[in-house]
Amino acid sequence: MILLVPLDPVHDVGLKMIKRALEEAGHDTVLLPPDMTPSEIIARAEKIRPSHILVSRTLGYQAEEVLARLADLADAAGIRERTRMIIGGMAVRPELAQELGFDAGFGPGTSPSEVVAFIEGRPAPSEQCEEVRSKKDLTAGYTYRFKDESVGKLAEELADELLLWAGERTSPAVERAEIRHAALMEGRSVGEDYLALCDEVVRAAYRTGTPPKKTRHLTSDEQRHLRTLGKRQYGASRPRSHAGLVLFVQYGTGCPFMDVAHIKAAVAWGADGVVHFDPSWGARTEGLLEGWLTHEEDGSVITPENLRAIREGLEPWVLWQVRAHRGLNTPETVVLAGHSGADLTKINIAYGSLGGGTDPERLAVDGVAAMRWAARFSMPFDIVTNEELSGVPAGKAFASMLVMAALAKKVGARPILQPLFCKSPEVMIGGYMSDNYVDFNAAKVLVLRDILDAPVWPGAPVGFLTQTEDRVQSSLTTGLHACLAGFLGADAVTIASSDEAYSGGPITAAARTDTLTAVQAAARFFGRCAITLTAEAERFRRLIYAQICDALTEAQKAPSFVQAIYDGVFGSREDGAHPGRNGRGTVRMK
Amino acid sequence: MTLSHALSRVLDAIDIETFFLCGSADEARKMALSLLLGLGFSDADVVSVEMNGPGARVRARTYVHRPGARYAWLAGTDGGDVA
Repeated sequence: MILLVPLDPVHDVGLKMIKRALEEAGHDTVLLPPDMTPSEIIARAEKIRPSHILVSRTLGYQAEEVLARLADLADAAGIRERTRMIIGGMAVRPELAQELGFDAGFGPGTSPSEVVAFIEGRPAPSEQCEEVRSKKDLTAGYTYRFKDESVGKLAEELADELLLWAGERTSPAVERAEIRHAALMEGRSVGEDYLALCDEVVRAAYRTGTPPKKTRHLTSDEQRHLRTLGKRQYGASRPRSHAGLVLFVQYGTGCPFMDVAHIKAAVAWGADGVVHFDPSWGARTEGLLEGWLTHEEDGSVITPENLRAIREGLEPWVLWQVRAHRGLNTPETVVLAGHSGADLTKINIAYGSLGGGTDPERLAVDGVAAMRWAARFSMPFDIVTNEELSGVPAGKAFASMLVMAALAKKVGARPILQPLFCKSPEVMIGGYMSDNYVDFNAAKVLVLRDILDAPVWPGAPVGFLTQTEDRVQSSLTTGLHACLAGFLGADAVTIASSDEAYSGGPITAAARTDTLTAVQAAARFFGRCAITLTAEAERFRRLIYAQICDALTEAQKAPSFVQAIYDGVFGSREDGAHPGRNGRGTVRMK
Repeated sequence: MTLSHALSRVLDAIDIETFFLCGSADEARKMALSLLLGLGFSDADVVSVEMNGPGARVRARTYVHRPGARYAWLAGTDGGDVA
């Protein structure tokens, strides 16, 4: 028998919930009414002779005194010798229970299942992963059929042309990817043939063992600690935030240790997947490094050892994306990601050329090779469209994204469309969000759904240029953007931390938990409700669709897809996009 | 439980949030930094500050462990209760 005691004038809701959970678990219970004195409670306890007494206290006023009085009376009556006494409620902290000699104390936020587990002598559910999770295939069920035949025809033809064009060319990155793959298959380091295709800084790191500036090798002790840290499994303490919607967070603190620690915190707070960020200089440097490397600034260095260490630190059900979209190591990054067990990667020739600083010709050759590698590893990839942040209209970005999707399908890969939910320059200049942040973002998803049967993963992250440095504002707007993705039936969403608008230092673990908490609270608030768009959403959908059609038609008139990028068809200098220069002149005919 | 023990278990940073009664955001910024410096933290910055009415809501931060550093909390990963 378990005696439930609300030691409070009125509050007994928590105990009623615990009573129900205990009875469902097969326990007999008696719930006393509120507002009984300690003496009256002890008298009832002597009569009932329970195995446990659960006392709740909500009011902070005189909580310690009243609980102490109850403990003294229980001692005097000999109840403590045969009964376990537990306190809980808003006014209780575990330290108070210990101080007053109770057997346990449960503070705010305790779930009924935790109390039941304690009474039954089991570990708390939060430590054993209440919810059984499995990795979700974001591409399952999609046919990649163009529902809009006219757009599909244009995209397919441009993809065919690009495939033929790229098939006649190669680059240092394409060749390095082959060498890296062979080395990984044979479990060895790369050799001089690889280094001949690298920049001097990479060659020096291999030959002298001296890592680039602001990086250092982890000591053997640190490597051991990292492995130990990675093996600690915590499960998913929080339930999924939104039914069916897979929630991704980004990491890339620079240090594999910090990354693993942040990942474990984020996953415990409700993240389903994580996205690896590498340093920006990595995208501008020919060649990838090896070894256990930590970096003092943003972005975690991609090496086989670092990726493996991070992989070992992931819970088995956590989706892991390694980005390969924007630099001079695109195909090799996909190879490394595939060998390291990544679930997803990220490739987009147009974005990497217009927003990532890489020469369009170079990234076109590398991007096609990267897609082929992604297909070989059966690794889906998102087609990111963050060139919108440079000022490229959404429709132009989507036009190239649809060509990438058609291309991916042709090489047997599984692409995921990634519209950016953001207050972009196009939106600001056009006043498209003067009333709300919903209609224009919703129009993006609606237009893509109309054109292609493919998964949609808004990112990355959602809410760009809407977040401020205030963590409440930042978390709330992030939570609402994530819910918008859910309302629109998206398959996944990538969210920022509440440090999104802060540039003075690394993102903190607390900032990651801020937005995860906000997403969960917002999703809980809305549940399965729907939203109603204003008439503006339809106007935006037509605008974006017209931009897509215009860009694809214009691209067909260009000598090649690549030339169309140089010519500004998918984002012009007037828009704010500039073709990148990294890797220019490095493509050669086969 | 000592201060040094608690600091060793800070994963990365400590944020202090408060509301200063003050005349400007700049004054709030200076007070927040002086507060952290006075507590002995040299690596201090103001993450956000907003001035309205009688004062400013401010959040200041100090990084205890920056990426790439040698973390005090690593010692706990073999059997402690961290990370």
